[in-house]
Amino acid sequence: MMPLVYFQILSAILFGIGAYGVLARRSAVLILMSIELMLNAANINLIAVAAHREGLGHFANFDGHIIAIFIITIAAAEVGLAMAIILRMFRNRGTVDVSQINVMKW
Amino acid sequence: MEWAWLIPVFSFIAVPLIVVLGPRLPAKGAFLAILAMLGGLIVFAMVAVDFLQSGSNTNGCGISEFTKSLTCLYSINWFEAGSFVGDSSDGIRLVWGMLLDPLTVLILGLITIVALMVQIYSLGYMHGDPRFGWYYAFHALFAASMLTLVLADNFLLLYVAWELVGVCSYLLIGFWFERPSARDAAKKAFIVTRLGDVGLLIGILLLWSEVGSFSMVAAFEAANNGSMSQLTATVASLLLFAGAAGKSAQFPMHVWLPDAMEGPTPVSALIHAATMVIAGVYLVARSYPIFVASGDALTVVAWIGLITAFGAATIALTATDLKRILAYSTISHLGLMMLSLGAFGYTAAVFHLLAHGFSKALLFLGAGSVMHSIDELDIRKMGGLRKVMPLTALLFSIGALSLGGIPILSGFWSKDEILIAVSEHLPPAFIILTFMVAFMSALYMGRAMFAVFFGNLNPEHEHAHDAPMSMAVTMSILGVFALVFGLVSLDWPGNFDGIGTLVYFEKELHFHLVPWIAGLSTILAVSAFVLAYFIYARKRISLDSTRAKFNWLHKAVENKYYFDECYQWIVEAIVLTSARLLGLFDRAIVNDIGVNGPGWIVKKVGISMKIHITGHVYSYALGTMLGTIVLGVMWWLRSVG
Repeated sequence: MMPLVYFQILSAILFGIGAYGVLARRSAVLILMSIELMLNAANINLIAVAAHREGLGHFANFDGHIIAIFIITIAAAEVGLAMAIILRMFRNRGTVDVSQINVMKW
Repeated sequence: MEWAWLIPVFSFIAVPLIVVLGPRLPAKGAFLAILAMLGGLIVFAMVAVDFLQSGSNTNGCGISEFTKSLTCLYSINWFEAGSFVGDSSDGIRLVWGMLLDPLTVLILGLITIVALMVQIYSLGYMHGDPRFGWYYAFHALFAASMLTLVLADNFLLLYVAWELVGVCSYLLIGFWFERPSARDAAKKAFIVTRLGDVGLLIGILLLWSEVGSFSMVAAFEAANNGSMSQLTATVASLLLFAGAAGKSAQFPMHVWLPDAMEGPTPVSALIHAATMVIAGVYLVARSYPIFVASGDALTVVAWIGLITAFGAATIALTATDLKRILAYSTISHLGLMMLSLGAFGYTAAVFHLLAHGFSKALLFLGAGSVMHSIDELDIRKMGGLRKVMPLTALLFSIGALSLGGIPILSGFWSKDEILIAVSEHLPPAFIILTFMVAFMSALYMGRAMFAVFFGNLNPEHEHAHDAPMSMAVTMSILGVFALVFGLVSLDWPGNFDGIGTLVYFEKELHFHLVPWIAGLSTILAVSAFVLAYFIYARKRISLDSTRAKFNWLHKAVENKYYFDECYQWIVEAIVLTSARLLGLFDRAIVNDIGVNGPGWIVKKVGISMKIHITGHVYSYALGTMLGTIVLGVMWWLRSVG
């Protein structure tokens, strides 16, 4: 059985890439993809811990699985919504570059 | 008698009716005011008859322990606050109530009669005025508030009515507000009387704090049985007198009354005879027990009265404007009333108040008739008007002779009573000066009468016409009053023993004449009128040389002793300067530092705090992440430590 820490390192790397993408990318679509990456990093972590605890002989506990499925569902909904917003943004302003979309300020 | 409160209520109801319905009614609703006042007069007549017939066993009535005359009290609760458990009540109970005693009844009669006459007279005088309806509305309100003032049994209600009277006088004096002088006169009247009102309010509150109620009877009782110290009584009565001096135009607050001539002439008649100025005398007479308990306050009242009477009489001698002569004569006679009150001449003061009221209303209506006809007020340009307006001349002469103190006419009897009271209770200097005032009042009345109606007719005035119907009738009625009213002081055969047995303080006063006083005052009055006749009607005696000799004095008197100038200087030099300083303080400290200061700080802080709102998604995302990391580190540190 693979040690839990491998999965956690993978999860951390994925999360870090996602976080970097969110902060550094200019394209709204790429930011959205980076967010997905972060969500999936969290999913990996949850599933890994859940499976690890099961392997240690604990009574089967589906909390981690359930939360992961929730996250997948919400992520799907969120992508639909966010893509719609980005589409409208592109229609209206002709760009999805977030550095040029800064009207929400004082 | 319980229905006496209806007397003002009719007129109070008439006011909104005239304002709302007036434009759709014939004569703009003026008849509503007249009907209301007529209703008041009828109720008054019934109340008066009822009052004269009732004794101490009538419901609500009793012999007052202060005036020793019949007094009836009726009241209803207005509202209560606090608790009233047992005798120890710590609540406040305010009542609407009436106090009916001979003083109230007599003055109610004066007000209703004169107000009704003036309203009917105004039908002719104010005919065609663009604000005819408003005039009647104000008029009705004025009379109604004055009636309420007289009926009030507590100082609070009295104060409410007192201020209403002040407002109405402002509205009526400034009735022709298109004229700047009328506006200024209205403001002056309001502000000067207001100064006195502050004293009145403080006095009322002082009495309240002393007695625990606004009731007049309670205040009198406290003053009478000594639970109120003499010092308190003095302070309270002087404060009340400040209010009275403001309303009754006593020195040094007399300056507003001559300027109040800017109002329509019937309004002057109302102000001078039946409302407003008699309020002050009434207030002193009403709170007489407090003044008597103080003693010192009465001396002040006498002094102020004498100064006012003397000063105003001298000014009246030099004034050239007919209405101003009458105005200063009013001030002088009000001074005499105050002097009389200060000399324990309660009956004399009230009697003179009534006699003067009828005569002065008549004189003003006569002056109004002259003005209506020839539109001129300078007596130097008038003369011989008796040929073109005989009725006005006759009635005006009756009023003038009455005020001048010619025997049989009403002014003689009341002035005589005042002279007797002054001679009995005050030092000899007072009686000498009072005789001089009496002489001067006859002289200026003769001057007004002879200069206007006798002598040669000014050719410009040949087409003058006499008063129209409504004015003539009302003047005639008042003329009858001026003619015969004084006879009520006589000891008639039958039940009526003279006015002194009806309205008196502590002891009845039977009719009596002191021969030397009556004789001297008659001689003075007659000689004054004869002198005036030769100076102003026949022009046999010229005053030019005398005038030249006493030029400085004449100038001082003609300029009304420079009171207006002094007050103007005080206002400019002291009031306005200190107001400017206070204004500077207000603008610099209160406004700029106190109010704008915190606002400025908040604004600057807000501007410095908004720099993190960039509008860029990634900067918000960075903030979120850094925040999360910080929270995570803190949580970690906590779980470790």
